[in-house]
Amino acid sequence: MREQNQLKSHLEKYVVTYLFIALSVLFIITSGLDINYVASQLLLRLNRNAFIVLALIIPIIAGMGINFAITIGAMAAQIGLLLVISWGISGVPGILLAAAITLPLGSLFGFLIGKLLNKMKGQETIGSLILGYFANGAYQLLFLFIFGSIIPLNSNVTIVGASGVQNTLNLTGSVGLYTAVDGIAHIPFLLALYISCGVLALLTVVQYLRKKISRKKMLVGVIASVLIAGIFLIPAVANTVNGSHGRELKLPLVTWLLILGLCLFNSTIMRTRLGQKFRAVGQNQTVANASGINVDRTRVIAIMISTVLAGWGQIMFMQSEGIGTFQTYAAHEQVGLYAGAAILVGGASIDRATNLQALIGTFLFHSLFITAQSASSAMFGNSVIGEYFRAFLSYGVIALALIIYAWRTNRQRKAGQLNLADRHAVKS
Amino acid sequence: MSEKVKEKSGIRSRIVPLILLVMAGVLLVLSVVGFVLQGTQETTQSLGQMQTSAVLHAASEGLINNIAQQARADKLAELRKDKNFRKRGLDEVNSICDAAMEEARAEAEKLYANPVVQDQAALDSAIQTFEKALSESSSLSVTERAAYAEIYVQLVDNISDWKAIAGESVADADVLASLQSTAPDLAKEANAHLGSALVRMARDQAAAQQTAEEAELKNQLINLLASDVPSWTEYIGLEEDALWEKLLQEVPGLEKGEAFRGDLLKKAAEHIAAAEKGETLPPPAEADEGADTVFETQADYSYFTPTAALEKEEAEKNDAYEQLNTQLVAVIPDLGGLSEKLQASLRGNIEKVLWMEDNSFSSRFHTYQQHKAEITSGAWKMNLASLATPLLLAGIAVLLLGLVILFWKPLTGRFGVPRTIIALFFVYLCLLAEFYNISVRMMMGNVLERMTMYGVLVLAMMPGIQCGIGLNMGITIGCISGLLGIVTALQFDLVGFPALACSCVLGALVALPLGWCYAKLLNRMKGNEMTISTYVGFSFVSLMCIGWMMLPFNNPRIIWLLMGKGLRVTHSLLGSFAHLLDNFLAFKIFGIKVPTGGLLFLALCCLLVWLFSRSRLGIAMTAAGSNPRFAEASGINVNRMRTVGTVLSTVIAAVGIVIYSQAFGYAQLYTAPRQLGFIAASAILIGGATVSKAKVSHVIIGVFLFEGVLVFGQQIANSVVAGGGLSEVMRIMISNGIILYALTQSGGGRRA
Repeated sequence: MREQNQLKSHLEKYVVTYLFIALSVLFIITSGLDINYVASQLLLRLNRNAFIVLALIIPIIAGMGINFAITIGAMAAQIGLLLVISWGISGVPGILLAAAITLPLGSLFGFLIGKLLNKMKGQETIGSLILGYFANGAYQLLFLFIFGSIIPLNSNVTIVGASGVQNTLNLTGSVGLYTAVDGIAHIPFLLALYISCGVLALLTVVQYLRKKISRKKMLVGVIASVLIAGIFLIPAVANTVNGSHGRELKLPLVTWLLILGLCLFNSTIMRTRLGQKFRAVGQNQTVANASGINVDRTRVIAIMISTVLAGWGQIMFMQSEGIGTFQTYAAHEQVGLYAGAAILVGGASIDRATNLQALIGTFLFHSLFITAQSASSAMFGNSVIGEYFRAFLSYGVIALALIIYAWRTNRQRKAGQLNLADRHAVKS
Repeated sequence: MSEKVKEKSGIRSRIVPLILLVMAGVLLVLSVVGFVLQGTQETTQSLGQMQTSAVLHAASEGLINNIAQQARADKLAELRKDKNFRKRGLDEVNSICDAAMEEARAEAEKLYANPVVQDQAALDSAIQTFEKALSESSSLSVTERAAYAEIYVQLVDNISDWKAIAGESVADADVLASLQSTAPDLAKEANAHLGSALVRMARDQAAAQQTAEEAELKNQLINLLASDVPSWTEYIGLEEDALWEKLLQEVPGLEKGEAFRGDLLKKAAEHIAAAEKGETLPPPAEADEGADTVFETQADYSYFTPTAALEKEEAEKNDAYEQLNTQLVAVIPDLGGLSEKLQASLRGNIEKVLWMEDNSFSSRFHTYQQHKAEITSGAWKMNLASLATPLLLAGIAVLLLGLVILFWKPLTGRFGVPRTIIALFFVYLCLLAEFYNISVRMMMGNVLERMTMYGVLVLAMMPGIQCGIGLNMGITIGCISGLLGIVTALQFDLVGFPALACSCVLGALVALPLGWCYAKLLNRMKGNEMTISTYVGFSFVSLMCIGWMMLPFNNPRIIWLLMGKGLRVTHSLLGSFAHLLDNFLAFKIFGIKVPTGGLLFLALCCLLVWLFSRSRLGIAMTAAGSNPRFAEASGINVNRMRTVGTVLSTVIAAVGIVIYSQAFGYAQLYTAPRQLGFIAASAILIGGATVSKAKVSHVIIGVFLFEGVLVFGQQIANSVVAGGGLSEVMRIMISNGIILYALTQSGGGRRA
């Protein structure tokens, strides 16, 4: 009976994830795309998007829902990038400078967002979405009318004969920001896989020896890592996924170190005092307040961190392989939507999220994204339907997650009220 | 003690508005001084001198630019002859040429910048004659051009199939007759001279239509190639003719593309080449969504033909210019040697200096100053006089601001913060429009038109708010139902009132079950309605994007022809029910076109909703929305009331989008309805509603203020800054800012 209940609640939590796994498999098969092509595209998109998606975790834990206002962090990063391009600083120094500009700007914006969201508690998700729209207006005002006239810029980024920044800015060539981080060093995908499997196995054993986890869990961990590594040791599998010589998959080393670093940051901050505060505020604001935590301040800090991280994530996105241009007025628009959908696909909900969920979510979400068009032209003879299906998936996933969450909390609240009523009945 | 504190804070809170009022007074006094100065003889004389100087500078500027450009071109030609030319980079060549140009410019400026006038009186009189001729001829030209523009816009707006009217087989007289029947003004005697030119225009349009259709056909065929051929590997190595034969068998509809066989084969060859390498070409790029937006028609003046009277005036103007030109040549002899093209551009420059649409003191002053005219005497007086208008505007703005801060509490207490701010902004925009010479009456006509367009949609927010679900962003569900009604009417080729009625009724019928399901969903999500309704609305719009592609509509007028299925994005309702309500009993008063039918329909809808809210059910619904616990205790079924409100909101939205489309003249499918919920929500909030309280008056006031600010703002923004970006920025910030404000008022301290 208990096991059945556990299974039920597990399914309820991860219904979106399982749905996406099934859909991904279906789409990959029907699309008829080369597995190697899908794998390479997936890796590319993971490199690009993982950082931004990971930036959503802290506000979720602090009970502020999906922070769609990360678009504002992206705008801060774009201001930084624009200045860097205008000043003609290329390569790693340019990226570092843009990141350095993003830090104070993102903190300031995050502070303001946090202050505003504190005035609409319980409505943060919709509030941050509309705040993102509002900020888009301010961003256009800044880029169309203030940059280039009041704030001077180099003429190679402004529109000739008018004020305002050009529609698209090139990042390749002499600008030199294209793959500035991605291109530093590469590591073969298989090697990275073996190493990470080994490290994972080692870590579980160490955890077991330090008596942090049970024997059963240790065994599961070790066997899983060995199995994954083993599957890829089979030449047939390795060749299908990894491709033949000359086209084999590679990972940008520094990018992945940064992504892993961010994961580490997310998990370490949760063990600090601040992290405890986030968690306490997320679980129950009244209790947190009673135990002496400044709830509003904690929430503002969570949003500030998220905004700055999202800004850095946007810089990583812009410099990554296959982008090459900076769509001045559109690059930030879908950031919140795609990142929010991705993390929810991974099994996160409005009030809990982990690094692993963010990574798995990005993986699943983009695997559908890549295959949707080809799958739809194979199924309906029309690739446009796939395009619309992608948009539907993004919005639909968020709607579904919101509905499940609201339904669950309402049910819990009702149950809580019933319990309370029972107790009252017993007392009297 | 406490009273003292109160008094002190009272004084302090009055300091800011008092300072503002004093500032406003200073500004207004300065502006009055400026206006007085504009009338004095000294400034008038000085302005005249500036005019002469500006004309001379405009003339010499053209000459100097010409010399500089020539020097640059010479330098480039010289470099080209050099055999090292290819070794130099582009940047280097450019910098050398630019240096040569600057040098020549500096020299030319020394020569021509300060021309010496011998016969000042003759020059002045020539300038004045030309200026007079310009302003006289312009009035006739303006009326004739306006008449032409009106006819042109009527034709282009109302004719969708040019090929039928002006195909090659149709005789000129027949073309003219059908043009006259479309635009009755063309038949008037005064406009008879336009006939032959407009026939030419119609023929050109027909040709353009033909080309556009061919291009679309070609594009669709290329897309077909990408989607309909399962495997290109079978085609490797085929000869051209064999390839074509095989493709014809594989791809249905390709036979229509015989005319562009070459292009199609080239594309096929690309596919085959990719298949040889084991790759597939990326799917064809999606058409830009922005391309579907419909713009207002602008008259194209290339077919404009003047009347004899206008031609005579033109001749007089030419004479006056000849005289001026001789005077100018007398001052700067080198002007005589200019080529014909440069002569024309010189004349254009001088005309711009001498004739402005807005012939006020300040605009003349600024134009002259742009042309580097020197101010000979009384510089500060001239500057102050030219600043009179902006000073007045700033003064009024500061005055309004001061008054608002002074009376903040009583004002916002009575009207609410957003309504106060937006109403004052609207008043200020009206003043600005007056000063920018934008016709307030015409703008008001536009506002009325837009009110009928959005009114019913905004009304749809009201039952939602009343029944307690807050801002119903999911009215997009109703909108899509209404659009379904419209395309069904189009499918069966309905026209006129039957089409309108069919769309409304069908839309409402579809909206009923959808709204019911949606209401049941929201009843389980209490406390989170706005978030959920937004995303459910978004998801439904994207789901229906697939729906529009798959639904079995098959009227060739509304589907993508070559695919044989899938509705187009934009459907023109011309010939069906475009502007039907708006033109019903429409009349003109003070030059404002009043869309009587639309306004009456809006009034009717408002009345019905008002009557409903006064009924037993309506009162119960409002009670359930404003205090659910109390309502529950007094025996009202809260969930049922919420369902009633939500369904009502969805059904009204379905009717609303039909009205919107008839006023707009087009029905837009796919992603177009996505933001409508936000627009309706911000309008009703501006009208004074909150997320828990709304009245019919909020709807009317909100639509008027919101659309008023947008219409006026757009015109003014366009005349302040070229390019349309500013008004869009304003729309985004107002609309979302208002919703944010409402959220901060409602959500504070509540925790789901």
